Amino acid sequence: MTPAPGPISQTSLSELEQALAEEGLFVDYGACVVRLRSRLKGFAHSLRGVYGSFAFMPEAPFADLHVRVDPGRGLRRWLRPNARFSIDGVEPFDPFPLASALPLYEWGVNWCFAQRFNQHVLLHAGALARAERAVIMAATPGSGKSTLSAAMMLRGFRLLSDEFGVLCPESGALLPMLKPVALKNQSIDLIRGFSGEAVLGPVHYATRKGDVAHLAPDAASVAAMHRPARPALVIFPRWREGAALAVEPQAREQAFARLAFNSFNYRLLGPVSFDAVADLAAACPAVQLTYSRLDEAIEAIHRLLDEPPAVGGVEGER
Amino acid sequence: MNAALDRLLSMLHDGAAARTLSLADWEPVLRLGRQARLLGLLGHRLASDEALWSALPPQVRGHFRSAINYSACRLQAVRMELRALDPVLPADVRVVLLKGAAYAAQGLEFACGRMPNDVDLLVTRADLDATEAALRAAGWVADDVDAYDERYYREWSHELPPMRKPGHALELDLHHTIAPVTSRTRADDALLFAGMVPLAGTRFWVLHPCDQIVHAAIHLFQDTELDGRLRDLVDIDGLIRHHLRSDADWVELLSRARSHRASRMLWYALHFCAAWLGTPVPAARWPEAPPEAARRAMDWIVPRTCLPRLPDGAPGLERRLAGQIAQLRYHRLRMPTGLLIRHLAHKAWAGVLPRRPAREGVEA
Repeated sequence: MTPAPGPISQTSLSELEQALAEEGLFVDYGACVVRLRSRLKGFAHSLRGVYGSFAFMPEAPFADLHVRVDPGRGLRRWLRPNARFSIDGVEPFDPFPLASALPLYEWGVNWCFAQRFNQHVLLHAGALARAERAVIMAATPGSGKSTLSAAMMLRGFRLLSDEFGVLCPESGALLPMLKPVALKNQSIDLIRGFSGEAVLGPVHYATRKGDVAHLAPDAASVAAMHRPARPALVIFPRWREGAALAVEPQAREQAFARLAFNSFNYRLLGPVSFDAVADLAAACPAVQLTYSRLDEAIEAIHRLLDEPPAVGGVEGER
Repeated sequence: MNAALDRLLSMLHDGAAARTLSLADWEPVLRLGRQARLLGLLGHRLASDEALWSALPPQVRGHFRSAINYSACRLQAVRMELRALDPVLPADVRVVLLKGAAYAAQGLEFACGRMPNDVDLLVTRADLDATEAALRAAGWVADDVDAYDERYYREWSHELPPMRKPGHALELDLHHTIAPVTSRTRADDALLFAGMVPLAGTRFWVLHPCDQIVHAAIHLFQDTELDGRLRDLVDIDGLIRHHLRSDADWVELLSRARSHRASRMLWYALHFCAAWLGTPVPAARWPEAPPEAARRAMDWIVPRTCLPRLPDGAPGLERRLAGQIAQLRYHRLRMPTGLLIRHLAHKAWAGVLPRRPAREGVEA
């Protein structure tokens, strides 16, 4: 066996560049391993900013996804240079400006994962854990799910993912898909001011989803990326400016519908996801959490984990 | 690369080949299987042996499980499409299911895990207009094709431009025979329609089992450019193993292939199925072999186009050349020379003319 790899933060830029240009950098996200190749100038530097705690792996026996981030073709190499994302030689989206190579890669991997990992129910949710008990925060885009996930990690929760609740239908466990947290617009400064521990990459201005900066996952979350967690609580977060904290229990049939709705592949999985989501809704208390201040919301989540409310709703035929 | 391809091929006919693979061995096998759209099918076969399945590395099982789930969704889409078509199709028209929809509706074991993209229906030429009108009246609309392509489909092809109903997941191809009308292979339509079999409990029919095999061979060797079509051979292998149970069945197959003037296509299908998938073909039941030169050419072209390749780099020169030749062959077989020249001239001219307004440029 080769010795355990050191973190990317302690790898020299030239080593990182060499790996990317040659055999590829293997990035382990927990639920999946990406083999990433790139000859893009400056990309290694961007990666190192937000993947510091991840292991530097210039080789691995197996990768799930094989992707490349390459410079534009022909004149595009010199004139308004851009970056192209490809998986297995196919480019699923239009190129991004060169400066947005990192957001392009991050979205690219999310997209590929959502397309190809249909062995799991992929909830559109932030997932965090206290000890081995997972909190699933399902919400539509723009509800502050990533911001709350980031804040929870910075207050000691283990981050599993800010985007994917990876629910294993066989075991009912939640698997980490641990990636840098994509913070958008005002959230960037909010999180910067929220904790001195926040390690943020550069701000990418005016991308297709507005301004974006990535928050690096902390070392504790990275160290635990192969440990599944048991779902314990479902939260539907709603950020409202100036709102007083409100915790409204959700009946389980309501929780079921909202979880199913906030899923990438609920329809595709048919009966598999029906059973998995129904089991989840039956086993976990669910609440809608309206908040304006992050610390209040996090305190409320701790209380909900300490004293879980009963699972509400009609007694069904299940 | 070749080791991975050999492993993929041997696993397709004998799951035991999966037993000895390390995780590193699996990676290129899974990638090739994905390129060939065979992961669902292979996953089904491996999962049917519980001991074997549970011994596979969890990552590998994950990719197979994902493909199995995806194919179940496609299959459900086929079932829903057939259910939607049932009341729409004219009651007095006998509608035959072809390919994926037919295998699914017959509940053929070998087809579990396939990933159908469309539903193919066949009616007689006499019933074509009424069937098309009924579909249009019920909301199916044809793909937007120009006047030339429209004519190409209607006069020289064996199917109409693909149709789709908004909100439906699958495309619908309406055929009136199983080979392009201008090609040298001319199916014997009378025999074809006389041999079809009703599907119990449905309004649909399927082709005579031997015609299903002949059709799959014609489709692969005349109706595609061969690229990445290993799965078509896997279908043919499955059909043969399922449908042909006795020597009389083989005699029937050869006789029908002859009537449809598709003996050579069948020979190629059997040739590559036997070589790659171990398909059992009785020595006395081979159709007449094609001339030596044609065989050699096909032995060079088919492996370089049909078999999947790892997508890490651009295809090599040989592979691209084989692809070009396969394309030429495809056109040559579909149309007589005069028509082919006309067709290529039109396509070249259309390529020069300004088409629709260009897509909006990259952001300003």
